[in-house]
Amino acid sequence: MNTTSRRRFLQLAGLGAVGTAIGPRSPSAETKSLTLLHESSFIKTYDEYFQKTLAPAYERETGVKVNYELTSVGSLPTRITTISETGSGADVTATFFLLPFLFDEKLLDVSDIADEIGKKQGGWYDAAKEAAVVNGKWKTIPFSNIGQLMNWRTDWFAEVGFKQFPETWDELYEAGKKLKANDHPFGFELGHGFGDNHGWLYPLLWSYGGAEVDPDGKTVVIDSDETARAIDFARKFFRDTMFEDVLGWTDPSNNKAWYAEQISCTNNAESILWLAKRDFPDIAKVTDQAQNPAGPKGRFHIMSAVSHAIFDFSPQKEQARAFLRWLMDEKQLGGWYASADTYYQPLLHGYDNAPMWQEEPRNIPYRDSLANAHLVGWPAPPSRHSAESVAKYVVVDMFAKACTGTSTKEVIKSAEVQLKEIYRAV
Amino acid sequence: MSIRSEPLAAIGRFPRRSASVGVWLDRQSVFSWLMMAPPLLFLAALVGYPLCYGILLSLQDRPVAHPGTFVGLKNFATNANDPIFWRVVFNTFFYTAVATLLKMVGGLALALAMNQQFPLKNLVRALLLLPFIVPTVLSTVAWMWILDPAFSVLNWLLVALGVPKPGPSWLGNPILAMLSIILINTWRGLPYYGITLLAGLQTVPPELYEAATIDGAGGWQRFRYVTLPLLRPIILIVTLFSVIFTFADFQLVYVLTHGGPQNATQLFATYAFDIAMGAGQLGLGASVALAMLPALALLIVALTIYLRRG
Repeated sequence: MNTTSRRRFLQLAGLGAVGTAIGPRSPSAETKSLTLLHESSFIKTYDEYFQKTLAPAYERETGVKVNYELTSVGSLPTRITTISETGSGADVTATFFLLPFLFDEKLLDVSDIADEIGKKQGGWYDAAKEAAVVNGKWKTIPFSNIGQLMNWRTDWFAEVGFKQFPETWDELYEAGKKLKANDHPFGFELGHGFGDNHGWLYPLLWSYGGAEVDPDGKTVVIDSDETARAIDFARKFFRDTMFEDVLGWTDPSNNKAWYAEQISCTNNAESILWLAKRDFPDIAKVTDQAQNPAGPKGRFHIMSAVSHAIFDFSPQKEQARAFLRWLMDEKQLGGWYASADTYYQPLLHGYDNAPMWQEEPRNIPYRDSLANAHLVGWPAPPSRHSAESVAKYVVVDMFAKACTGTSTKEVIKSAEVQLKEIYRAV
Repeated sequence: MSIRSEPLAAIGRFPRRSASVGVWLDRQSVFSWLMMAPPLLFLAALVGYPLCYGILLSLQDRPVAHPGTFVGLKNFATNANDPIFWRVVFNTFFYTAVATLLKMVGGLALALAMNQQFPLKNLVRALLLLPFIVPTVLSTVAWMWILDPAFSVLNWLLVALGVPKPGPSWLGNPILAMLSIILINTWRGLPYYGITLLAGLQTVPPELYEAATIDGAGGWQRFRYVTLPLLRPIILIVTLFSVIFTFADFQLVYVLTHGGPQNATQLFATYAFDIAMGAGQLGLGASVALAMLPALALLIVALTIYLRRG
């Protein structure tokens, strides 16, 4: 029997491993493929439609296989950061919120495609341009908005005399007081979630005339009478219509509370009704949706656009451009929108009267909210500074601290100090 | 083929042969370095490089996907002017100190209890490791339900005991939120302390206890003068690791509160992540993460010196 010393064995094994690592590889067939990165949708049929209908259709037509890479909810920014920093990964990516403005240097100019699509399909909403145009160039092709609107219980509101959803914040406050007394409090997120907090707090601030920063993108203007009035309203709104837990809520919390029939009004995407229709039909029957209430300076909504961008380091830029043109053609687009009811609200006027809106009229306020929807940080232009303010929850915590008893003057001062530090380098 | 140990005499011999790779590899100095190289490369790639890159980033204004510009210590100055940063410093130290203390005391008690004889001892010991084995994200989601206002089993119990409805807001109240994450961290880390100290307890020679008993020592005195001194090195090592893990905790807070309410549970790791990944400020984020380093380094040096003196 052959015997080998332990030392000799380790030497041979080591050399073998090195040889395997640097040795010639067997040639593999090159396949034409593209990778599209997306965050998992709350609406499962939406992802399934792409995987089962759109991707096979594109492969049949062009021979190019599209890999639909899904990342978990909330992890898209991290994934895009990794891809951008390493210069490898997906060719096309979904973007949302302020991502096009953070990653603009790594994204291809797709103005020509955006122009073509706009001309063919009724023109873009202004909100689409706000979400996709960076320094005069379209860096991403807007796909849709995921609106954040008011979701309310028609049966419980009716019990306190409201057959329609209140038009103003003050009227909503009056309804909320009565509903809380009836053990049906409101539930609006004031914690550190991703979207359900910004979804109502920025519109509230704007509707009272407040803003973080001037349209010049430099001057901090948070310390104003308008901001103070919005904060004073939020404090009493919290105290008289809600309960303490909302201060610690993250995004899933209001959905859980809704389906537990714990709250009578919240601010959320359409998914709350979509899921209720599937899993809680009795709750779905008494769920309705409405635009945000108006304040003294008007009615506002948050802009949370989903778009598609091409990485400029993709080795298949032309293929990616061709794919985006194909994807955004109405033949494909209409079906993809319809697969998620209207959870993804089109940003092209050509879909304003699409049949999908008639399927569920309770979703129509989401379409109409696009008229006065803006990105966080508005009226300042979107920038890395507005992204930093969002990441540090400056506005959310300003309101939340006021709700826990800190004075209006103090919370505004604290937010102003933070914003001046954030915008100091501008 | 079988593998056998080479006799020591053979290792020391260097027969005169023509210079070949085999002979060169056989040399003690070459072979030992060859064996050391993989772990050293591993450490350099996975610890050394990220650390150096992190230091480099912290000295730059480096927005994500944009080239960086050297700014010296400006990021650290920005942190010094940031009220949330100081809140994060306080939170992290408080969280680490209280959770570590609870784990140390609880772990010791657990180890002492597990060292006794009782039926199904091995099964109970294995089950005790569950909180440590279950992935943190998974157990945190379970805690999210336990602390949820609508579904909280904790509040259900409290209400049944006479606390007014709906019971405490575990994650909405800033103080209770901090206590909640400390509680969960303690629950998760207790088995690590318990099992490690149990291993230490089993190495204490029974003769020492017998001698102490003959000398008239009671239960407390046996613990104070026999058990504790012999366990001290293990307690210090476990504490060292526990402090490092707790100080840099991320998953628990990220899943449960995301640093809320109003930054009451924001820690170094979660804040650095928000700034680097949420705001795309890689330089500033790195500077927040690196702010942990001096405190941890000091602690490690102090504990190591103490351990050597002991």
